[in-house]
Amino acid sequence: MPKLIKLIGDASGPNFGAEWAEDGFVHVGDDDALPEGDVILSLARFQAEGEILLSNSRRVGVRIEPDQEVEALAYDLPHLSVVALSFPKYRDGRAYTSARLLRERLGFTGEVRAVGDVLQEQAGFMVRCGFDAFEPNDGATPEAWTKAAHRFRHVYQRAADSRRVAFEERAV
Amino acid sequence: MKAITANRLIDGEVVFWKGGAWIEGFGDAQLFDEAQDAEVEAAVAAGKAQPTVVIDVYSIDLTPSAGRWAPVSYRERIRALGPTNEPTHGKQAVGGEVIEALRHADGAARSTGRVDLIRRK
Amino acid sequence: MYRYDAIDREFLTDRSNEFRHQVARRLAGELTEDQFKPLRLMNGLYLQLHAYMLRVAIPYGSLNSRQVRRLAWIGRTYDKGYGHFTTRQNLQFHWIKLKDVPDILDAMAEVDLHAIQTSGNCIRNVTADPYAGATAEEIDDPRVWSEILRQWSTLHPEFSFLPRKFKIAVTGALTDRAAVKTHDIGLFLRKGREGEIGFEVVVGGGQGRTPYIAQTIRSYLPSEHLLSYVEAILRVYNRHGRRDNIYKARIKILVAALGIEEFTRQVEEEWGKINAERADLPAAEQARIRAAFAQPNFETLPAVSEAFEAARAASPALQRFVRNNVKPHKVPGYTIVEVSLKAIGQTPGDATADQLDVVADLGERYSLDDIRVTHAQNLVLPHVKLDDLPAVHAALEAAGLATANIDLASDIIACPGLDYCALANARAIPIAQDIAKTFADPDRAEKIGELKIKISGCINACGHHHVAHIGILGVDKKGEEFYQLSLGGSGAEDASIGKILGPGLSAEKVAPAIDALVETYLHIRTGGERFLDTYRRVGLEPFKEAVYAQAD
Repeated sequence: MPKLIKLIGDASGPNFGAEWAEDGFVHVGDDDALPEGDVILSLARFQAEGEILLSNSRRVGVRIEPDQEVEALAYDLPHLSVVALSFPKYRDGRAYTSARLLRERLGFTGEVRAVGDVLQEQAGFMVRCGFDAFEPNDGATPEAWTKAAHRFRHVYQRAADSRRVAFEERAV
Repeated sequence: MKAITANRLIDGEVVFWKGGAWIEGFGDAQLFDEAQDAEVEAAVAAGKAQPTVVIDVYSIDLTPSAGRWAPVSYRERIRALGPTNEPTHGKQAVGGEVIEALRHADGAARSTGRVDLIRRK
Repeated sequence: MYRYDAIDREFLTDRSNEFRHQVARRLAGELTEDQFKPLRLMNGLYLQLHAYMLRVAIPYGSLNSRQVRRLAWIGRTYDKGYGHFTTRQNLQFHWIKLKDVPDILDAMAEVDLHAIQTSGNCIRNVTADPYAGATAEEIDDPRVWSEILRQWSTLHPEFSFLPRKFKIAVTGALTDRAAVKTHDIGLFLRKGREGEIGFEVVVGGGQGRTPYIAQTIRSYLPSEHLLSYVEAILRVYNRHGRRDNIYKARIKILVAALGIEEFTRQVEEEWGKINAERADLPAAEQARIRAAFAQPNFETLPAVSEAFEAARAASPALQRFVRNNVKPHKVPGYTIVEVSLKAIGQTPGDATADQLDVVADLGERYSLDDIRVTHAQNLVLPHVKLDDLPAVHAALEAAGLATANIDLASDIIACPGLDYCALANARAIPIAQDIAKTFADPDRAEKIGELKIKISGCINACGHHHVAHIGILGVDKKGEEFYQLSLGGSGAEDASIGKILGPGLSAEKVAPAIDALVETYLHIRTGGERFLDTYRRVGLEPFKEAVYAQAD
């Protein structure tokens, strides 16, 4: 089972970092028997079984593939704990858009988790787009992840994070 | 006849296989005849097992030229020589018989090893 | 010109350090080549046939003398004493060692140069009219908007892993010197009803395997909404562009598949959902960037320079240079000088380190420290006083840079082709050299007039062959280099895609075939027709006959 890295602190604050986290969630395949406890399901399985699952006391997450639109979850987001966005290849950049839409347009405040081909090279982009949990695929440690996410002292455009943009720094 | 080529990771230089080492001049490359396909495969595999030394390892087909051997494909001949618009740049700068044989070769096909490389990508 | 501040400089330092770290990890075996390749490409570093190639970004083709001198120094120190200007207004070094690249990036960062986003599936270096700020026909300065886009797109967190590369070009003039309609997004500055500034936005242009001329998605976009609108286009593309086939992944394929109406609908719908207040650039920052491009202190000069007129009367060479390489400037007493990198027999777009130093000196002394790169692989000194023109011409001549052939038959665009490029199928440079020699007689070249010949060594079309008056595409036909001719393309304001003339030709037959095409044109042209105009009037047939009757 891959280890989970979670962000701590505010992206623009001095306490920003990342740490290993207990992953209480189990990724459940479409044909798997449903285990006890917290689960992350595919969109299809969630749409079929989600209502019943949400009514018992477990926490539920949904895994969104790049060709699926996060808008499909718009009405369920308040009940979801995790949205896992999948990177089948790390060069597939659709999940960045999905993450920004979840945060900036759909107002999702739960966990947005990167799963699949997740490398520390992407950390900066992911954090800026609103991801706050990661299942790294390259053996990255939280220390490496924090460093990679904050390699740049300045950013040039607004995104889903709270970092001050170059033109805001200049305006001070 | 075949030879094995790659680019060296640290500087991109075109290199050729010679008995377990990578050398820069095509004239010194180890040549393999038709009976040695297994050796070619083994050498290509050995090269691919050195990802911090070379990249894009593949075999090239050779054709006789001026009493020597030269790559069949013009792409490989340009790699073994240097750019044709700057005759003093690259490996061709040293001149000599090997270079002349490469310059005057012509062939009719891409190297099979390269085709495989393209397909794999 | 835009001057980097501490923020821009620290950003480049961080970028350079990041790449140093990545190179170290690659050499130590912590990154595989598959993992490293996209990272080096994001820094413009390719592995070519003979060595690595480093592509340096020249945002909107604009350089100062210090930057040009640094490029010359890099060419001398880390390459073989030269560099190659590209159709993307960038500069490539062809003999680079991976181990040197972090040091080279540091050396570039010292003069505010970088290689960010000169490759990879991201928003590439923004290109613009090389006459910006100098031409009288300009509605607004495209460099302002190019710089805004450059900053906004730099390491954009959402749009750095697009389906495919993404190119944006901007012009403020009616004459299109930036091939705007061949870009993923093209921006034409327009005046609104009240005289305010906006853009006509075109989308889905591109060359490569499937060429398209861009179509208008919005005839007028208020300029303050540029970033939000571009964001909407990029988001629709990022979500819906094809990722299953590299040859169908550019936005042009999505636009063509959906149709411009449906694509426009999707973009407008997305734009309507974007919080423009957050997405658009604040007016204060726009003003800060605009101020960087404020008109320099031009002198008040008479429109006619006696010194220049006297020198011109005495020098046929200067007369020819003025006829072909000197263009009108918006300020009386000044001119725009094109520096041809197409001396007969030379590699198109190549400049030696010594030549770069000469251009840097001339730019500093005579052109307000401003030097431009054109997509036709030439250089421009945009602000030369007429009084200084004789001295500039003499200095260029001494450096082999005064070839008076801008837009003539020997001003050929050519990609590096199979002499350097790992993607190429055939050589482009030797073909260009052959053709240039065919049209070496400057009187004949002037008689022929504007003729844009462009050569690509593979279907990726870096040599813009689809939009050439005469286009040449190199192919590999059963292990031999063959060349396919096409006629009637244009990358300018009258943009069009060329039509294939007929079967491919072997290398030695290309220059004679071009000669036959030109002779045919000279026989049948009427009035002031350019080659392109004659072709558009008469079509392919007479030209086909001229080439293939001769070949048989």
